[in-house]
Amino acid sequence: MKPASSDQILYDIESASFIAGGRTILEPLDLELAPARIYGLVGANGSGKTTLIKLLAYQQKPAAGAIRLLGRSIDSYGDRELARCVAYMPQFTPPAESMTVRELVGLGRFPWHGTLGRFSADDAARVEIALSQTDLLVLADRLVDSLSGGERQRAWLAMMLAQDTRCLLLDEPTSALDIAHQVDVLALVRDLSRERGIGVIVVLHDVNMAARYCDEIIALRSGRMVARGTPEEILHPDMLDRIYGIAMGVTPHPVTGAPISYVA
Amino acid sequence: MVERASLPIGLWGAMGLLATLLFMQQVGLQWPAASAGPTGLGQVIFFYSVLPRAAVALLAGAALALAGLLLQRILRNPLAEPSTLGISAGAQLAMATATIHAPLLMEYSPGLVAFVGGIAAVALILSLTWRRGLEPVSVVLAGMMVALTANAASAALILANGEYLFSLFIWGGGSLVQQSWYPALTIAWRLVFGFAAAVLLLRPLAILGLDDASARNLGVSLHATRFLIIALAVWMATTVAAEIGIIGFVGLAAPALAALSGARSLKQKLVAAPVIGAILLWLTDGLVQLASGPGGERIPTGAATALLGGPLLLWLLPRLRMFEWPSLAASTSSGRRVSRPWVLVILIGIGALVAAVVGLLVGKGPAGWSIASGTVMTDLAQWRAPRIAVAAAAGGLLGAAGVVIQRVTSNPLASPEVLGVGTGAGAGLAAVLLLAGMPGLAWQLTGSAIGALAVLAAILILGARGNLGPERLLFAGIALNALCSAVLTAVIALGNVQSYVLLRWLSGSTSEAGAVHALVGFAALLVLSTPLLVLGRWLEVLPLGDATARALGLPVRAARTTLVVIAALASAFAAMFVGPLSFIGLIAPHLARLLGLGRARQHLVGSILLGALLMIVSDWLSRMAAFPYQLPVGLFASLLGGPYLIYLLGKGVQRHG
Repeated sequence: MKPASSDQILYDIESASFIAGGRTILEPLDLELAPARIYGLVGANGSGKTTLIKLLAYQQKPAAGAIRLLGRSIDSYGDRELARCVAYMPQFTPPAESMTVRELVGLGRFPWHGTLGRFSADDAARVEIALSQTDLLVLADRLVDSLSGGERQRAWLAMMLAQDTRCLLLDEPTSALDIAHQVDVLALVRDLSRERGIGVIVVLHDVNMAARYCDEIIALRSGRMVARGTPEEILHPDMLDRIYGIAMGVTPHPVTGAPISYVA
Repeated sequence: MVERASLPIGLWGAMGLLATLLFMQQVGLQWPAASAGPTGLGQVIFFYSVLPRAAVALLAGAALALAGLLLQRILRNPLAEPSTLGISAGAQLAMATATIHAPLLMEYSPGLVAFVGGIAAVALILSLTWRRGLEPVSVVLAGMMVALTANAASAALILANGEYLFSLFIWGGGSLVQQSWYPALTIAWRLVFGFAAAVLLLRPLAILGLDDASARNLGVSLHATRFLIIALAVWMATTVAAEIGIIGFVGLAAPALAALSGARSLKQKLVAAPVIGAILLWLTDGLVQLASGPGGERIPTGAATALLGGPLLLWLLPRLRMFEWPSLAASTSSGRRVSRPWVLVILIGIGALVAAVVGLLVGKGPAGWSIASGTVMTDLAQWRAPRIAVAAAAGGLLGAAGVVIQRVTSNPLASPEVLGVGTGAGAGLAAVLLLAGMPGLAWQLTGSAIGALAVLAAILILGARGNLGPERLLFAGIALNALCSAVLTAVIALGNVQSYVLLRWLSGSTSEAGAVHALVGFAALLVLSTPLLVLGRWLEVLPLGDATARALGLPVRAARTTLVVIAALASAFAAMFVGPLSFIGLIAPHLARLLGLGRARQHLVGSILLGALLMIVSDWLSRMAAFPYQLPVGLFASLLGGPYLIYLLGKGVQRHG
């Protein structure tokens, strides 16, 4: 895969919609996402965040409309070809039973070596890089299931890094973590995105977290995009009311001065 | 979701009407003879066979439904019922044993014998799963294990005692043919007693449907009430079992159908479930009579209810509301890994070889223990070698199938035995036997393979469509297990030559293995495990779930299909040689993992070798334990494997608190 020029559009979504069991989960949506930026997907439960990110990961096919990845229709990618461009982490990471961290991260090389290909020195090197970037070298030979929630989430991130993609799709990577680990993981994602120039689309429950770590926030409500903008634009009482349907206020952070929302 | 009334009450009216019509047809057939004269045979048949049969069907249906309802309530387990808890199988084993060893007791009170067997089965299951807080999946799994083992033991008893006990197996199918009013009356007064007790215990029962803490909060003395009600349910169920045999699924279906028909409160269910149960069994029995030809009934009613109930359970699964217990899925990983896995694999291989050599040379003779050598050895080897080889090949195949199934379903408790793949192979074999009379090994294998494949495919499709979690997937397996067992029981109940073939197969005997079997077994092991080794990476990725596998670019559907076909074939071959119930496919992968083999290929090879080792040991034990008699190797292996399953279940809860 040749690295595409950095000004190329990462995702171009053209009136993509999704229907499950006769119910429209995602209304036709038009959206363009630039590379090397962090997008936060926010919205209430059932607003279609997870559906949208699954469409982007091609875990589900849109009912109508088209999704283009790096200028090509996402249908036209082969299984492994797509996995070399996009890495996806599901909302609930399954238990990696009796697998060490290094082995889990090594699976990230599957799109490159395939079912029968050799696990080359290059593959091994990239695994080590991913481990060191996520600060997991010390834990590399521990069993994944013996790690704490935050460490496990880092291990999965490392696997996605080893995949060496242009884009990471994260579905609520912090939902099971306490606040310290949430900050830990999101800061890591932001640093990695800056360092490697990878685009990140991350579903987040907490709009304050999204505002703190994302370049841009996309808000969904009932399957429709109701807002899109910088954190400063989104963290506004009227906007928040449109997104969550409850009265919320905004106050400046006592130290940084960045806006923080609260339930009024 | 069950709470929504999705089945109209009119449906039950219609079904009741249909059952009445079928009954009237029987009456119409018999009445002319009965009304002819006051003392004729026709009258005897009418009053002492036709009428009591209808009464027994209604009463037994109601009693089983009530027993099922009570058990489900008390264990908070929508799948509890006499057959899933092993009560019926326990009763059957107790009666088979008593018939041989204590015929007087059997003469005196078969009901008591059955009750003792049933209560022993329940006590075993409850004590085994106590540590897991009687969590539903563990209870039902333990129940299945007890039932399978009891069935195999019964089959072995029947085989060892020939014609003498064969009628017991026909009884096992639950035939409702009656000769007097005695069974109907016996069941009737148990039912009345049980119903009265249930009404009296209505309030504690309602509270016991909550979790333990709330129940204790509300001042119910938990254990005493629980045991009382369980004993009551077992009493009703084993009475039915003693009088007419094993009738599966009525106890499961009736309460669930009552809920689906809109019975919300316990009081409503107490009335609705027995009524529905009575209608169900009466209707089934009517259909069985309708289908019976001049040569008698083709299938016993009990087998027919299982044939209807299995699909019903599968349909119910996604609709059942269950208490969600902490998931079992993450509960069994071992905490360590060996540093040199392949050395360990080689050691296990050497162990298997040593076991094989010991099995070949060491044996019990009329003069005690001896080590064969020289000409004695060559003489004995031609008998012993094929058996050992077949056992080893079957164990290896099961080990491989277990690893594949556990990894493909990401479910540490899945295995060919638990998911019903083994009994599926048996159903396929039964079909081939029915069609072809005495088919050759190739045809038998084809039938088994098709049966196994059908079951595994059904489970995976159900799992994918209903989005079943690991627990419900196991329930689907239990349903299919019961379904295929019903087919087997029905064919065995025919009582002809094919029945003996199936009975022998069911008990898992290798005593007739010859050089051809050994050759076929090893060829299958080689042919099936080679592609698995090549595709090791799929086995590595798939346990992480479909989403992850797809995100990594794995062709998920193709990979699953390929692996499942291989696993089904391996299970079918293994079941052909050692019967359906060894549990080796469950234990071998776990042992391999416990010993520290984590990566897919090491895990696979380790599990194959461990499976072979365990099977060789089981074979040797089955030859030695009751010398000069030979016990079925499958039975022995399951006695080794069953307790391990329970141990696994018990371990899970500690890990997750």
